Amino acid sequence: MPEDPSFDSFRGLSAEPELYSTTPPPERIWSVSQVNSVIRKLIEDSVDALWVRGEVGNWRRYPSGHCYFSVKDDRSELRCVMFARDASALPTDPDDGMEVRIFGNLTLYEKRGAYQMSVRRLESEGAEGLWRIAFEKLRSQLEAEGLLDPSRKRPLPAYPAVVGVVTSTSGAALRDIISVLGRRAPWVRVLVRGTRVQGEGAAREIAEAIEDLVGTGEAEVIIVGRGGGSIEDLWAFNEEPVARAIAKSPVPVVSAVGHEVDVTISDLVADLRSPTPSAAAEAVVPDGVVIREELRHIPHQLSKGLRGILHHRKTMLDNALSRLGLRIERRVQPAQQVLDHDFGRLQNRIRGILDRGRQRLIGVEGKLDALSPLATLRRGYSVASTGDGQILKSVRNFVKGDSFTLRVSDGEVIAEAKEILAGEP
Amino acid sequence: MSETEQNSQEVDESTVEAPSLEERLRRLEEILSRLEQDDVALEEALELFEEGVGHVRDAERLLAETELRVQELLGSGDVEVMGLD
Repeated sequence: MPEDPSFDSFRGLSAEPELYSTTPPPERIWSVSQVNSVIRKLIEDSVDALWVRGEVGNWRRYPSGHCYFSVKDDRSELRCVMFARDASALPTDPDDGMEVRIFGNLTLYEKRGAYQMSVRRLESEGAEGLWRIAFEKLRSQLEAEGLLDPSRKRPLPAYPAVVGVVTSTSGAALRDIISVLGRRAPWVRVLVRGTRVQGEGAAREIAEAIEDLVGTGEAEVIIVGRGGGSIEDLWAFNEEPVARAIAKSPVPVVSAVGHEVDVTISDLVADLRSPTPSAAAEAVVPDGVVIREELRHIPHQLSKGLRGILHHRKTMLDNALSRLGLRIERRVQPAQQVLDHDFGRLQNRIRGILDRGRQRLIGVEGKLDALSPLATLRRGYSVASTGDGQILKSVRNFVKGDSFTLRVSDGEVIAEAKEILAGEP
Repeated sequence: MSETEQNSQEVDESTVEAPSLEERLRRLEEILSRLEQDDVALEEALELFEEGVGHVRDAERLLAETELRVQELLGSGDVEVMGLD
């Protein structure tokens, strides 16, 4: 018995078909393991890796990550195993009954002596079917939690000072984003948190990058994205960790996964979906040219406003003044009328008083005349006085040769005392 | 004024940042719409006008920035200027 059964020794046995007609002598007795080992080699060496189409049945995923299942058509069944390393690339487990195509090698599970296919790839027969199923599963789960509700979408800040970016530091996406931000809004600060965006564990890394950026408390809006690629390349953006990190972010997140046809879960959870990283950069910052243009008009608008207020104040003052004038006039007019009326009466009264006065004066004049020395004079008497008005009543008042004034009824006469003759007192 | 108030004011003065572009532009809109109203007192209108002109000047200065600052946030939490090719 050969210590190490080989394909050749096995073949040697089968090379003599005539021996089957009679039972051969038990010179070479094989162990079960030897048989299975030889068969395994035989199968593995003679059949190249191949694609097989069939319907999935009895899918089971073990805690180890290995998956066991079968594919069948209407007549036959093929046992399959997909080891954890390959199975982890599946977006989701296929449902039983799903039409799939599998790629791998035929082999033999020696322990059971059962031949099986070691599957390295499994795809749904429908275009992207498995991806679609995984997508729908997560989508409906997030939807049930309300995370896709349109009311959760927050508006982006109009003029962010700090923009956060989560993407690969070596990708074209970052260059595009920086170029657009630099052209539109060179005054902003860009905080980049580099991450792998595809491959095993990328989703977890992207989620951590978002959390790190959020943790700085500086980014006012975050762009999460990558350039275009196959659905497999983009898959991280359809995974739960990324979706949850976006949903949890306290600042708005713009999803920018470079593809236009399909929506990713990130797109659905994000506050805004952009078709490309460049478009995301355009969406998060205003265009400096436009702001400068708007600013250019503002001083004019300011002075227009101020002039308007000045004008309004002046009009108000004018109105107030003319209203005041009117009011004063209205208040004065009646008084004026009264005054005009009273003035007439006053005049009449004054005139009456004057007339009466004049009448009385005439009467008094008459009496005065009667009593006046003038009347005596008119009767032929005269009054002698010195030049300074001293009345000369006695001969003792006269000095011989002096002149004196003699007042008569219609004038004065200057006379001279020629002789002083004393008479009887 | 109490001592604590005095302290907080000092802290405010040293840490308060200049208004952001967004704050300036928002304030400008407020000022413009206030100046469109007729009931503004003359004194207030003049103050608003001066404040507005100041914001325009400062916003223009901010916009005159020509070089984008790009920094990389590292896994360690450090931030460093990003080398771009």
